[in-house]
Amino acid sequence: MWGLLILVLFQFAGTLIAALGINLPGPVIGMLLLLAVLLLMRRVPEPLQVTSGQLLKYLPLMLIPPAVGIMSQWEVITSSFVAISVALLGSLAISIPLTAWVLQHLATRGAESK
Amino acid sequence: MIALLVNHPMFGLLITLIGYQVALELNQRTRTLLTQPVLVATLIVVGLLLLMDVDFQTYYASVDLIWLFLGPATVALAVPLYTHLRRIRDYFWPLIMALLIGGLTTVLLTLAFAWLLGAGPELLASLAPKSVTSPIAILLAEDLGGSPALAAVFVMITGVAGAVMAPWLLQKAGIHLPAARGFTLGLNAHAAGTALALEEGEETGAFAALAMSLTGAVTAILLPLVYRLGAT
Repeated sequence: MWGLLILVLFQFAGTLIAALGINLPGPVIGMLLLLAVLLLMRRVPEPLQVTSGQLLKYLPLMLIPPAVGIMSQWEVITSSFVAISVALLGSLAISIPLTAWVLQHLATRGAESK
Repeated sequence: MIALLVNHPMFGLLITLIGYQVALELNQRTRTLLTQPVLVATLIVVGLLLLMDVDFQTYYASVDLIWLFLGPATVALAVPLYTHLRRIRDYFWPLIMALLIGGLTTVLLTLAFAWLLGAGPELLASLAPKSVTSPIAILLAEDLGGSPALAAVFVMITGVAGAVMAPWLLQKAGIHLPAARGFTLGLNAHAAGTALALEEGEETGAFAALAMSLTGAVTAILLPLVYRLGAT
């Protein structure tokens, strides 16, 4: 249970720091703290590797309850259907080619100059 | 009979597991991106609740066992992020630039389109984290004053739509570098995009996973800052 204890401790640490006035969700600060520790250690301890793998396997299941909350949001979706669709699809249509072009352009230019 | 079922402490767990299992089966049989399991499972659970006349609060209180683990699971995302981070050395600056430009563009365009079409502040706050992986998006939407449920659903729709649109868009834009294809899929379509990238090959998949993890972490840090700047 070491792995789970570590994760919960980091979540608590994150929540504490959030309470001190950093405007980020506690678990997100916990994730960044854990990443910093892993970068310093330069390896992932075995219990942490095992527990996070098992926990993340169940992540899709954990996302269902919050998502079911749309049943009380029908009105927003139907009344703003056009705005939502255009915003979600329109941004993808532009940002997909843009992201890929920036990366490929810079990466191949870098390779040529070497 | 129905009252006995609904009042049982395991009721929420039962219908959530049934919904997820049915959705997984459907996804494996149809093998299309459109049957994204969490999205289908959510619709099944909503249908069952409406059928049995149970409201969301009652259901949500009965499944706290499931969603309480979202916090530790979010912290656990640091492990795959650390593992994928070594890939960043391959193209350090191009990846950083693509991350910042791509991540910022997709958020700003989403907000601009929605705002122009009359979306209110709560809807905008639910749309803003749409390119971030769901657990982080739910937390961010709540912090910004949006709806976690809408954010979760927008993330899933973005994932599915991104994965459907990306192959055609990437081909039109003449993108052949596996790192660029993978990174774009992960950044714009997170989990669904990463699954698609893995089908293209190991390198494409690795960069998609890196992009998904990085986008989650970087957006989580920058979005509240950008959002507060914009709101004032």
